[in-house]
Amino acid sequence: MTALDLSTLGAGFSDEALGSQSVFRAALHALSHPGRAVTLPHDAQTPSRGHPASAALLLALLDPDCTLWLSPSLAGSDAAAWLRFHTGCVLVDTPVAAQFAWVAQGDECPRLGSFAQGSDAYPDQSTTCVVDVVALDEGGTDAWTLRGPGIRDSASIAVVGLPRTGATAFAAQWRANQEAFPRGIDVFLASPRQIVGLPRTTRIETHMAQEA
Amino acid sequence: MFHAFDTEPAGRPLDRAQWMATLARAPLELLEPALGTHAQGTPQWLRAPETGLVMVQGRAGGSGERFNLGEVTVTRCALRLGEVGSAVGVAYVMGRSHRHAQLAAVADALLQDPAQQPLLDTQLLAPVRRHLELQRAQRHASAQSSKVEFFTVAREAGDTEGEADAE
Repeated sequence: MTALDLSTLGAGFSDEALGSQSVFRAALHALSHPGRAVTLPHDAQTPSRGHPASAALLLALLDPDCTLWLSPSLAGSDAAAWLRFHTGCVLVDTPVAAQFAWVAQGDECPRLGSFAQGSDAYPDQSTTCVVDVVALDEGGTDAWTLRGPGIRDSASIAVVGLPRTGATAFAAQWRANQEAFPRGIDVFLASPRQIVGLPRTTRIETHMAQEA
Repeated sequence: MFHAFDTEPAGRPLDRAQWMATLARAPLELLEPALGTHAQGTPQWLRAPETGLVMVQGRAGGSGERFNLGEVTVTRCALRLGEVGSAVGVAYVMGRSHRHAQLAAVADALLQDPAQQPLLDTQLLAPVRRHLELQRAQRHASAQSSKVEFFTVAREAGDTEGEADAE
């Protein structure tokens, strides 16, 4: 057993129940309206590495039964100790073993196919990924067009600074993820204050797709 | 891992596990006055006091297979007295007393400061150790008063011959 260094650790939600409930509500809202940027209200003292919104989201979602994979720069930071202390989650070394994954801005995201995909009988056992990006803007010229359940006609979201996901583009991997339904991963994109839900049912149309 | 926290070797520098074990069993009447103003302030909570169950495991004879002995109610908390970067006090105490957990954690945080350690050691830890010692002696004495000595008449080697003679 290794002792955590607690001296630099921040506090969690000031009220554990109400704090995680309001974040959970926002997460539900984000997943039921894919492509909508949802502001996460929280009062946790989040770690220095990683976005506050993603830290608060994971703080609300994780418990001691959960396994978590962290991207390299997060795994070596106070974020790992912070989540371990407050949630008691188990850190794992491989994305495929994780129920939750957190990719920091600037780190390379593993291929989406390398996360746990769930099975046809238990599609819920796939990984839920939280991916930090620089900014999320609804609309804009360079935006993705999203279609699928929870979206009336189409939603448009511009994602700035998406981590690289191996050799192929995120949108192409996302298509494969979406076609594997009911299996597949769910993604939360997080800017410092906001999150956008991308459930596995959502289709992404990029304006670059035709050219690539 | 087995620690005999009650038999403290003399002259050894204080170690954290040892004082945390002592504080966890300290009565509130000794903790409150010894901590003075530190006991009154509102600490910065890392983990507010929460009560739960902990499975206690035992080994028969201290070396047998591990087995679940039973659950005990434990209250734990973690707090910080100063700014971020200062020592974090942690306490796990048996029972449901949030106040006890808080004061034990405050004392743990203060004891990690080398400047405060000697004073707290004499003002807080020494009386608590005396109290625990006394408590143990009393329990020992009350147990001893109900002690029953069993006597068995052991036959000596020569007796078998004597019996044979009598027949």
